[in-house]
Amino acid sequence: MRRHYLVTYDICDAKRLRRVFKTMKGFGAHLQLSVFQCDLPDIDVVRMKAALTEIIDQREDQVLIIDLGPTESHPIKRIESMGIKAEWEERRARIM
Amino acid sequence: MEPESQGPSSGSDIPLLPARMVNEFAYCPRLAYFEWVDGEFADNAETTEGRFHHRRVDQTPLRKSRKVEDDQPSEATIHQRSVWLSSERLGVTAKIDLVEGDAASAGLAEGTQTVVPVDYKRGKRPHTTQGAWEPELVQLCVQGLLLREQGFTCERGVLYFVGSRERVEVPFDDELITRTRELLDGMRTMTQATVAPPPLVDSPKCPRCSLVGLCLPDEVGWLRATHEGEAPAVRKLIPANDDALPLYVQTPGAKLGKDGECLKVKDHDEVIGEARLVETSQVVLYGAIQVSTQVTQELCKRGIPLVYCSSGGWFYGMTTGLLHKHVELRRRQYAAAADRERCLLLARRFVQAKIANCRTLLRRNHRAAPDTVIQELKCDQIQAGVAESLESLLGTEGTAARRYFSEFAGMLKEAEPGARFDFDGRNRRPPRDPVNAMLSLLYSMLAREWTVTLQSVGLDPYLGFYHQPRYGRPALALDMMEEFRPLIADSAVLTAINNGEIRTSDWIERMGSVTLTPDGRCRLIETYERRMGQEITHPVFGYQISYRRVLEVQARLLGRYLLGEIPELPPFTTR
Repeated sequence: MRRHYLVTYDICDAKRLRRVFKTMKGFGAHLQLSVFQCDLPDIDVVRMKAALTEIIDQREDQVLIIDLGPTESHPIKRIESMGIKAEWEERRARIM
Repeated sequence: MEPESQGPSSGSDIPLLPARMVNEFAYCPRLAYFEWVDGEFADNAETTEGRFHHRRVDQTPLRKSRKVEDDQPSEATIHQRSVWLSSERLGVTAKIDLVEGDAASAGLAEGTQTVVPVDYKRGKRPHTTQGAWEPELVQLCVQGLLLREQGFTCERGVLYFVGSRERVEVPFDDELITRTRELLDGMRTMTQATVAPPPLVDSPKCPRCSLVGLCLPDEVGWLRATHEGEAPAVRKLIPANDDALPLYVQTPGAKLGKDGECLKVKDHDEVIGEARLVETSQVVLYGAIQVSTQVTQELCKRGIPLVYCSSGGWFYGMTTGLLHKHVELRRRQYAAAADRERCLLLARRFVQAKIANCRTLLRRNHRAAPDTVIQELKCDQIQAGVAESLESLLGTEGTAARRYFSEFAGMLKEAEPGARFDFDGRNRRPPRDPVNAMLSLLYSMLAREWTVTLQSVGLDPYLGFYHQPRYGRPALALDMMEEFRPLIADSAVLTAINNGEIRTSDWIERMGSVTLTPDGRCRLIETYERRMGQEITHPVFGYQISYRRVLEVQARLLGRYLLGEIPELPPFTTR
């Protein structure tokens, strides 16, 4: 089953920051600076954690993975946005 | 933890059994058969996590932590990681995560050393009397036996649980060794069979097994049992809507490249879209799209098919990774295709299910379906069930299709003024009206979907039972899609027209033929994909499942049928 996650990070080194950003692009939608919206089955959560563990420095950097609950319950609807309207990504086939 | 690539070779000599496979065999013989004999492998969260932990065992860490690592037990004299041992005499091989030897006993007796294999396990220590489950104990015992073969003294092993950082001591007593030898013998016997052992019955092991989606334990068990009176409900073990989704590229001249974990589509240096690789199930290219080698290689590695179509939607072919290893399945398929009786049996079933689904669609969506047509379709359905030859079946199917399409227009709502949805029977090459154009496009999309699905489960999409093989025609895909034409393609066309998703402005007429504009086609593909993602109640198993999953389950059931595990392939018909 898929769950929604918000992933936020603080990375101290510019090079690692780039790599974390690039990795996160593969798992979710870039929502704000250092914030990603991810809609993942548990296997991809493990993959994401594995990929991030390889990059970050455990003593200096921090990644928060916030579990918002199962996708079916539409947890994103509970998030309120102020100012510029937030664009939440929907899962669907991509046609370009 | 990586999937074993060699697998058993044909012939009498059985290759060395890996200790990890003995673990799988102790867990479930059917699982071991799939992974070892069929060469199937699927990951789930547990296996992925396991591999991640093992990667750290298998390699020396690249970056040393600032805290000096000197908290290793000082008495350890042997501390060897990733030790690979084999023994022809035992017939086993194993990669041991860690071998430890302590100084106290080292060098006591001349030439012998006491060593301890350490096996890393993900998760926490299970709270059982023996400290671990049998599969793990047996796997460790195989490692111990291998170390003894090398001349070491090895009386015990250690399971290290990464999740709780606990060590569990496992003594290699006679009981465990006997059990291990028993399982090794059992596994060798199993290797020689051509059919997998039966699935476990209602086992709590199944929901967490990574191969549950291709093993279909409850479904196969249910179909094997003869049902008289009340049949028990089938557990829903397959996620309904957990799938990766396709990426379609139809902008002429676009370039597809790879950027980290994403695919990037560029049109004249302008990025027009990105798709994440983990969420991509297949990449479909319409017309002249350029693809980089990096993309092709990455897709092959990940098992994502790359499909080429003409800009009009004609399916040319596809690039996939290596062919599926399950040779026995293809052999059975060829044997069945050569047997006229079995072909006819399957063909009857395909046509019957198709007519049934057409009839249901008419009854549900037609404003006023004439009773005669509904009746006649019912007769056709019965007649298809007793057809004596493929030729007469073809005739019945044609008649039924004519009847169905003559009433098709009745399912379309009154369109906007000037819209020409004057559907008057099926025509193609080229389609002469918009409805036919849409049907043609969606049929070719469905054929492509089935080709991809069949190939991914290890069947040959080009050899069919009802459709005869012709150059370049995916006959089995056409067979399998028959009953899904009304359910997916026809129904998507109805949705697109009746919801006003496709309008007059979405097609171009040229010399009596009709084509959709790129924009119109884009919206039709969206409608089709929405339909594929829709959850329905499975007519046989009774649980909710998306059409995308239904195709996969149906393809796997065909495999189970060809291998003789289930007596017949259940048709997919809705009510």
